[in-house]
Amino acid sequence: MTLRVPRRTIAAFIGPAVAALAIVGVAPLLYALWKSFHDFNLTQLARQRWVGLQNYQTVLTDSDFWDAIGRTALLFVSAVPVQIALGLAIALVLHRPGLTFWKTLTRLSLVLPMATTYAVVGLLAQVMLNQKYGVINQMLGWVGVDAINFIGDPTNAFIAVILWDVWQWTPFVALVLLAGLSTVPPEIEEAARLETRSPWTVLRHVQLPFLIPSLVAVLILRTADTLKLFDMVFTMTRGGPGNATEFIAILIERVGNRQFDIGLAAAQSIIMLAITIVLARLYIRLFYREVS
Amino acid sequence: MKLKSHVSALALASASLAGLAGAAQAWSLEEAAKPYAGTELEVLFLDRPGYNAAIQMLPDFEAATGIKVNHTTVPYENALGEQVRDFVAGGDLDIALIDLVWIGNFAENGWLVPSETFINNPELADPALDMADFFPLVLDAFGSWNGVNYGLPFDNYSGLLFYNRCMLEAAGFDKPPATWQEVMDTYGPALTKDGKYAYALQSKRNETQSADSFARFLWPFGGSFLNAEFRSNLNSPESQAGLQFRQDLMQFMPEGIVAWDHAETVNALAQGDVAFITEWSAFYSTLKSPETSTIADCLGVAPEPAGPAGRRPALGGFSLAVASQADAAEQAAAWLFIQWVTSAANAGRYLELGGVPARQSAYADPALAEQFTFIPALVESWQEGVPEFRPRFAEWPAITEIVQEYGTRMMLGEISVEEGAREIGTQMEAVLEDAGYYSGAKPLAQ
Repeated sequence: MTLRVPRRTIAAFIGPAVAALAIVGVAPLLYALWKSFHDFNLTQLARQRWVGLQNYQTVLTDSDFWDAIGRTALLFVSAVPVQIALGLAIALVLHRPGLTFWKTLTRLSLVLPMATTYAVVGLLAQVMLNQKYGVINQMLGWVGVDAINFIGDPTNAFIAVILWDVWQWTPFVALVLLAGLSTVPPEIEEAARLETRSPWTVLRHVQLPFLIPSLVAVLILRTADTLKLFDMVFTMTRGGPGNATEFIAILIERVGNRQFDIGLAAAQSIIMLAITIVLARLYIRLFYREVS
Repeated sequence: MKLKSHVSALALASASLAGLAGAAQAWSLEEAAKPYAGTELEVLFLDRPGYNAAIQMLPDFEAATGIKVNHTTVPYENALGEQVRDFVAGGDLDIALIDLVWIGNFAENGWLVPSETFINNPELADPALDMADFFPLVLDAFGSWNGVNYGLPFDNYSGLLFYNRCMLEAAGFDKPPATWQEVMDTYGPALTKDGKYAYALQSKRNETQSADSFARFLWPFGGSFLNAEFRSNLNSPESQAGLQFRQDLMQFMPEGIVAWDHAETVNALAQGDVAFITEWSAFYSTLKSPETSTIADCLGVAPEPAGPAGRRPALGGFSLAVASQADAAEQAAAWLFIQWVTSAANAGRYLELGGVPARQSAYADPALAEQFTFIPALVESWQEGVPEFRPRFAEWPAITEIVQEYGTRMMLGEISVEEGAREIGTQMEAVLEDAGYYSGAKPLAQ
């Protein structure tokens, strides 16, 4: 027997969520889209006017924008593979039977970096990586390594951001992949282990297919996170030195909040949104397969 | 000069008011504030000594007037954005906190009420206001725009040379460097050794890069951001000489100086790691306190070294002005507060509590100069500064971002001084073109 739920009941349940999403998500998006077609600078409101696609033209021909996109892409391809490799290693260790208490403790401690506010993570980095007084350089000094200029050197600052991002987000990847591993039917995994003693073979042919949805989720979420990475970098390097760590979100904030050019910043944001949607669709099309 | 003549007129007006009032009824804050008792004022403060001093003084004002001053402390980097958004949205702020480089922006947008409105109102104007008592440079630069005064100088700085006297004496120097050339030729080589450095120049990519680092080496060498036609002057021989000098001077600075902000720089001197720094006068209390400085007993203060064009020290600071979005009662109450907190009568206490007043009368007492050793250097600096040390027009927020980017890239060697200056110049002129300075739509005021 099939129970037919009245449309009104469905609407009552879904309605509040849709309304909330419309207010906090869709309305600001439409407003940003509208403003992206205007010359709208908060400090020059008198000359506010419709400029059509001029802001988009400015963004698409702006080398600063493409440089920031390039840096963001470099950050992504440097940090995410490391996070996935380390996260998978941690997940596989935690997936093994035994040592229940320690595994629980590890899972709990994995939450800590993720739970730390991004801005605090950046401030911690600024203090810990200080060339003269930072604890990291002090520890390096104990093993005879000269103090490293982490924040003041463009290359080192970029590497420091990668390492800090890996520190904060590897636990997230580990927990998602651990959840993915728990979807592997135990009997299939046991049967595979009877067939081969190679953990790599089990991973490649049994566990990995079940991990694909988790990996796609990780890729989509980490892509979105990297594109909007702001707080940690802002408090750590503020996009510097020079523009070595000026990622796309830092650039948009600079244009919108410090130059007050809301129209241009809105156009940058809309283009970023389009890139994010395209990438998400691409991941799903390329990688996602239903596990049968 | 138009700006100065206007300030002189204001000074005369306030002096006349003083005379009139002296002859008539005595003015009192308590009486003036009676109609506004219970009014609440909203203002943004920074976490700096001058604001902490004002906060300690607030209970006296509130007890005398019944006016409540609600202050929200924000980081400097957020203060402009917070206020712009509040004024655009018609928010709660009744008093504008104006950095020297925001005055053009705030005034041109009509967010401020001219001081004259209140100075000409005998019920609100304190006969002892005495505008002429403010250092003229400071009153011009911090509170006036295009011939109109809006704000009274509140948190006032000049760039000073703070030095470690003991370190200098140990290296055979009995006085601090008087010129930048001496720094380069004599002090730099002698003091940069054994892991210590002669000089640290805060150069982080924010307003510090533009104000403390880039501009500091333009003016003493005869350079400037703009020429008389408002075209870039950064590739002039004088500007180039100054910027190249900064580049060459980096050999006597700690590694990674482009990542140093005020905290790192002050700390480096306070810990005895560098021999001298050029920093805002507001950091005197930090460097003089044994709780925050290991060189408190060795601290010396002097005016900034001079360049070929003279001293031209860094100039910075904040004024307080009445916000036009406030209603009439709030505007009156706000003026009473601004007038009181910047008054000559309160200047001594403000100084004692860690603030730096802009009242000339406050520094006349020789005993104070003995107690606060930065005073003679500060007073000397305020005679030699330039109001447009950084252009104060509405376009500065956009231009400072350009300077910050290319200024740090120059220091890192990613781009040559000449190329960097040309790039800043091109982008700066594009901003000014867009704003209408070259078409004549806007006056060439900075």
